[in-house]
Amino acid sequence: MAKDTCPVQSTLQYLSDRIASGVLTDPKVRRICESIRMLVEEISLGEAGDSHMAAIDDLMAEFENRTPDDTATKTLDHLKHILSDRREEFVSHIETRNCPSHDCGVIAPSPCQMACPAGIDVPTYLALIAEGKDDQAIAVIREDNPLPWVCGLVCTRPCEMMCVRGRIDTPISIKFLKAFAAERALSDRRYTNPEPAPPNGKRICVVGAGPGGLSCAYYLALMGYKVEVIESLPFAGGMLMVGIPRYRLPREVIDREVAMIEDLGVTFSFNTRFGSDVTYEDMKTKGTDAFFLAIGAHKAWDLGIKGETDFPRVIDAITFLKNVAIGDRHAPGKHVVVIGGGNVAIDAARTSLRLGAEKVTIAYRRSREQMPADIEEVEQAEEEGIAFAFLTIPTEITGNDGRITGLACIKAELIAKKGTDRLAPVPILGKEFTIQADAVISAIGQYVDDSGMTAFNAVNWTRRGTIEVNHASMETSMPGVFAAGDAVSGPATVIEAIGGGKRAAEAIHRQLTGMPQPRMPKIPVRRRKVPMIEMTAAEKMRLSRPVMPMLNVDRRRTTFQQVELGYDEAAVRKEARRCLRCDVCRRCGKCVEVCRDKMGIDALHLGYLDFDHPVKTDFRMTAENCITCGACAANCENNAMTLEEKDGRRMLKLCGTILNEQEIQTCDACGARLPSAQYMAFISDKTADLTQKAEQRLLCNDCQRRLSAKNHVPTRPVNPT
Amino acid sequence: MFKRGNRVEVFQASTDEAWEPYMNDFIGVHGVVTDPDTSINDPDDLIEVSLQGKGTHRLPQDCLRILSDTR
Repeated sequence: MAKDTCPVQSTLQYLSDRIASGVLTDPKVRRICESIRMLVEEISLGEAGDSHMAAIDDLMAEFENRTPDDTATKTLDHLKHILSDRREEFVSHIETRNCPSHDCGVIAPSPCQMACPAGIDVPTYLALIAEGKDDQAIAVIREDNPLPWVCGLVCTRPCEMMCVRGRIDTPISIKFLKAFAAERALSDRRYTNPEPAPPNGKRICVVGAGPGGLSCAYYLALMGYKVEVIESLPFAGGMLMVGIPRYRLPREVIDREVAMIEDLGVTFSFNTRFGSDVTYEDMKTKGTDAFFLAIGAHKAWDLGIKGETDFPRVIDAITFLKNVAIGDRHAPGKHVVVIGGGNVAIDAARTSLRLGAEKVTIAYRRSREQMPADIEEVEQAEEEGIAFAFLTIPTEITGNDGRITGLACIKAELIAKKGTDRLAPVPILGKEFTIQADAVISAIGQYVDDSGMTAFNAVNWTRRGTIEVNHASMETSMPGVFAAGDAVSGPATVIEAIGGGKRAAEAIHRQLTGMPQPRMPKIPVRRRKVPMIEMTAAEKMRLSRPVMPMLNVDRRRTTFQQVELGYDEAAVRKEARRCLRCDVCRRCGKCVEVCRDKMGIDALHLGYLDFDHPVKTDFRMTAENCITCGACAANCENNAMTLEEKDGRRMLKLCGTILNEQEIQTCDACGARLPSAQYMAFISDKTADLTQKAEQRLLCNDCQRRLSAKNHVPTRPVNPT
Repeated sequence: MFKRGNRVEVFQASTDEAWEPYMNDFIGVHGVVTDPDTSINDPDDLIEVSLQGKGTHRLPQDCLRILSDTR
């Protein structure tokens, strides 16, 4: 191995190749190599801790005692050699989290993948969807998220916030493409589970069947664990089922994906409350090796205003949505006021409307601009006729004989508190008013219900009322007890809970197999490298994000039918093609620098490369000045920029997008292939004072030299032959 | 108050109990707020930030400052 090649990266590649090729036939040797590969990968990603090298040494010692054949011996010798000769570079990767040769950066994931709390390989599955390979796309997604259809409908899509295409026009509609692929793969009966590892005899108890619990159960089951999920509700899904209304997430979607997890052998005990119906001791007696707590945050905060406890029609949004999910179809009132500004408030308001409320108002103490709910949710609520009262602080729920008559409020203004620029709502004296209401729903946040957790007495809780964990391993302060989801983060997102569950599953596995835990949460890893899709620059620029077809408003106001109807297939394939493939182009900007500063051409207008200050991008403009010299491609470390020759044309491509194409020229004298006419002219201009111009003829270097030499006979060098 | 889409910088370590040692690696890194406190806008809440090259993490607000707003 050359000294300038990163030994960490080459070892990773070597082990990956050995494992993938199947030459390691001895199961123990294979297991040792897989473990070493995992540790080396973490070193290459800067995630390794102090004990990683020691763990590799231990595995190597184990390996030395087990060399059943020549292949294993060769593998052992190779690893021994590199780990001995280049050991300091492995240590340097761990200590500095830096790869001097930048080789390790090549496998860095795209911004959308990095943004996903579950680390889904977005560009790969988008490329597969673009080619109609929906089942393969779902397989890629499920390597990091077992609920692609659910997330395709309700994810808060942090990936789209970081989508680089958004710096050019609009982000790729990643969420809806995922939903389409999941639905199509299921419809085609090609949405299948991976083959799980053989049972390893170990048992895990998962408390809570929400997204975090389901995710952990899925990945543990795949690793061969016997998983039992304890759930107090009569069905799986947790907040997916009782917190998100059916018009956003149909129950069938949850049921289908839960059934896939059940198919792996995961067992569910519904209507079972941990701590009373089943206890910690019961589970330990059964031989449970580890616990995973994913109990969610299902308790609502009180409003803390007068009248809150005086009327039966004052209800918290979580209880209200849960009752509706279980089957209650009674309107909470004719005039409903929902207090709060988050997504739960919007869900409660839109649900009230569907149940028959005549007027629904959302009272929020800050401005529209500061409302934390998703913009799309707010707009859809407005379309359906929900009213908003901004800068409104509730002061009292008024009524008589147990019936609410109104919500007394006071108008607020936003004023920066002393010593901070943070604007806070402050009541304006004299601006009191009443909103007519016969039902009030509070949606001002939730917290973790810790009842039933008394057996986990060594688990520490944070001052925020959440379970304290080490976020690298999701392990609590009680050995063998792990936690994730809203119980750890406080009320958060579905995808964050899924990511936490996956991380915990891996940490449980590591603990039960004696592997060290990583120093920090794992950076997502690329799952595949799929070919890029060829298209013209004009098409790449012209494609635009499709508009989501919606259910008509009358039906939205009266039924729980799904509001977003989904894209048709043609729109999906086109939208997936809009992806810039940031898994390949790392946006280092070298191509632009070389073209502009070294060649002096400045043909590349890729303003999106700058994260902090993106400027205009137009792929079509490249062809105006580009001479297909190939300097950009030659300096691209990731082969994102390529110069290809096909059908008599020379094409400059960026991740498959043809930025420029020019006809391939041949030498007028000898017929050799030449650079483009533009490039020849460029060189000719640059060297005009050194060599004679070829006038109107296109000549290769050799012929040009011959011609030049012929015209300068007196200075021709003497041939020593 | 942080909003979805705010470009932010982790400009200092936080004194909050939620700050873990590995988060020191994030100081100086830029990112985007992907999930602010979605219920009560509590300045004490942890908010989710996608950091360039570092993944997505929930961080205390006192370690973050806004660079610009893209919303």
